[in-house]
Amino acid sequence: MRITNFLFDKVGKWSKQFSNLPDRYIKRAMEQVYWRNPKGIQYKPNAVVKRKKYHFSVHRPWTGEFRQENSPGRLHPKVFVEPIKEWSFFRGDRVEILVGKDKGKQGIIKQIFQERNWVIVEGLNCKLKQIGDDKEFSGVYIQEEKPLLVTTDVKLVDPSDLTATTIEWRFTEDGDKVRVSTRTGRIIPIPASVEETIDYKTKATYLEQPKDTKADAVTEITFEPKLATFEMDIMEKMGIKDDRVPPKSFWY
Amino acid sequence: MANLRVMCKLLKNLNISNVKAHSIPSDRRYKNWGAQEVKSGRSWKKEELRLKSNSDLHKYVLLKERNMLLTMEEEAKAQIQLFPSPERIDKVEDSMENLESVIRERNVAYHKLETGRTGERPYKMSKNAFGLRYRHEMSEYTMPKHMNKDWYEEFRSYKHDRYTEQFLLKYREKSYVSKRRQQIRDFNHVIHLLNRFPDMDMQALKEQYPNVDIEKAKASRKYGGHFAPK
Repeated sequence: MRITNFLFDKVGKWSKQFSNLPDRYIKRAMEQVYWRNPKGIQYKPNAVVKRKKYHFSVHRPWTGEFRQENSPGRLHPKVFVEPIKEWSFFRGDRVEILVGKDKGKQGIIKQIFQERNWVIVEGLNCKLKQIGDDKEFSGVYIQEEKPLLVTTDVKLVDPSDLTATTIEWRFTEDGDKVRVSTRTGRIIPIPASVEETIDYKTKATYLEQPKDTKADAVTEITFEPKLATFEMDIMEKMGIKDDRVPPKSFWY
Repeated sequence: MANLRVMCKLLKNLNISNVKAHSIPSDRRYKNWGAQEVKSGRSWKKEELRLKSNSDLHKYVLLKERNMLLTMEEEAKAQIQLFPSPERIDKVEDSMENLESVIRERNVAYHKLETGRTGERPYKMSKNAFGLRYRHEMSEYTMPKHMNKDWYEEFRSYKHDRYTEQFLLKYREKSYVSKRRQQIRDFNHVIHLLNRFPDMDMQALKEQYPNVDIEKAKASRKYGGHFAPK
């Protein structure tokens, strides 16, 4: 497995966190397989021809926009993404903007695009976008937030004095990993909205769906240790008796 | 314990026995037809399935659910309709995989205790007609190998002759060349990164490109870019 190829098609943990979708689905939704070798004797038994490099932008990998942007044969200029050791920007964090017309303003992070080192800050760094224009009608303008680079364009805000600061990951005496402001040494707590997903605000306030198993039923222990395989146990429960002795066989 | 409420499940309660597939009332049958989204919980985890008895795991609830979803997907395709929340299929698949691995764990534990072996289907690494290694999943036969003519015809074992030698030479060359090209590509990519982001975290760069010698990349003539002489 080549490391770099692996990096190109990997969706960041924090990019998909809010969607609450299983990884299997994300992989299936973004995958573009053009050819798979049929089963049988092949010199390359599991050879697959598929898209290796994806262009990541503000569209989520499981959406139609992403599929359109990465449609077969469509190439994009190479994007250089600065390697970051540890992701430190989360949904609900207060950040200060260092560039553009909203320079110096503070806002809350709304979306994360880890593949590009991008965050979107709510209501800031906006651009007007013209939509629905034709010959007679000038269209309407809508405001759209543009992504900001976490490496240069935004800084976390220290809650003790509400000014921008650089941070460092350190450990507390209890062994918890925390973000610490390098200027004041205060801990910048990770916001509660980190665990928020499209399905629930917090895990405790999840609204149960009709097909969901109740929590008590999940934790109920019905397993009893027994000296039997699964099949033997089921046969016993169903009253199936089998005293036949299997004939001698050979494995090869 | 409040967190347990999130142990929301896609599936029906496992303890409900005798789930009747055909007894769904007609007013509920097409409830999700035309919906943009159908909310569902997460899949079953291994540690939760380990708590359940064998007969609880033998209810076919997941299989029925998957069949229902796949049928709905096919029907939606046929009618050119939207199949809402297709991730439900993946959630059920994940649960099924976890369930199977839990059952296997139990069987392996029994067989190891009784026979000292796993009791799983045996396999051995062997070479195919091209001289490439593959995992041969063994099968059970009534007669020994040397008597089994059909088997020999089907799985003619690998003979190391000059043709396979020539093939393997080229095959290995190909894989070597592709690895080498990837390494060169990585090396050049690192130079570009160094040029673009001079204040980059070098530790992160090393972690992401462990095969690239960064000192060597900095010695390259491509590093440093254009600048006016003083």
